[in-house]
Amino acid sequence: MAEREGVVEADNTEAIISRIEHKTRKIESLLKQSKPVEALKTALEGSPPKTKDERCKSANWIVVHRAMMAIKDVDGLFSLLDPEYYDILMKYLYRGLATGDRPTCDQCLRIHEKLTERAGLGCILRSLADTVNTV
Amino acid sequence: MVNTQRLYLMCIRNTLDAAMCLQNFPCQEVERHNKPEVELKTSSELLLNPVLICRNEAEKCLIETSINSLRISIKVKQADELENILTKKFLRFLSMRAEAFQVLRRKPVQGYDISFLITNYHCEDMQKHKLIDFIVQFMEDIDKEISELKLSVNTRGRLVATEFLKQFM
Repeated sequence: MAEREGVVEADNTEAIISRIEHKTRKIESLLKQSKPVEALKTALEGSPPKTKDERCKSANWIVVHRAMMAIKDVDGLFSLLDPEYYDILMKYLYRGLATGDRPTCDQCLRIHEKLTERAGLGCILRSLADTVNTV
Repeated sequence: MVNTQRLYLMCIRNTLDAAMCLQNFPCQEVERHNKPEVELKTSSELLLNPVLICRNEAEKCLIETSINSLRISIKVKQADELENILTKKFLRFLSMRAEAFQVLRRKPVQGYDISFLITNYHCEDMQKHKLIDFIVQFMEDIDKEISELKLSVNTRGRLVATEFLKQFM
């Protein structure tokens, strides 16, 4: 039983990593067309929440990071982004703030302020309290 | 540069606002004991995700919450050796007098310069937004204090050296 679950996990990991690579190509093309908001949306959706595998999380983080750094207009971002993405974006923002790299932190702080204004403190609290779906 | 500081403090303020949701919770393991769970970290169901907010490579702030307590650890910007020593001495001076501050922790968490421990009792006695104002104000003032100290040390050093070397002229 455990063995079968182990096999399913491995399959899922490979499937997720290939999905992430597929996403990366799509995002690169969107960024070339100067559509950073769509790129961020693509990066955020289909985030693998239930995997415990660090590689999947890191791979997805790299993709989201790429899309986030390409955003110049933060106000415009929120007029185009759907509210369902706010929670997952907040989790990635905190991951970005933990890196300590100056340009990443600058960008994350800018987005964080505007996101808190839009989504409120509940969004922050959900990202703190969710110990099951971490990024 | 001032703008990044404003954003950094705003982010910390918002996170603290959300994270400071403390209630009384007696210890689960030992009866009649009431301990700050964030310090012990014995039960994972009582802890929230710790959050690290970095402004750049030198300055960061770690916020750990639990059901009845909240720990904030701050690493202050230290540009050179002199600021390093001044920060250490000044913050040690404050930490030794932690009783007077009530929310200060006697020893900073490993890797940080100063730590605060806020429990549910503090939230009952004091207003939440005033506590947060205190912490953010503290962070702003620390930078100013350290630069003032550095300036006074340099001035004094220069005066002493001038006076001393006058005898050799």
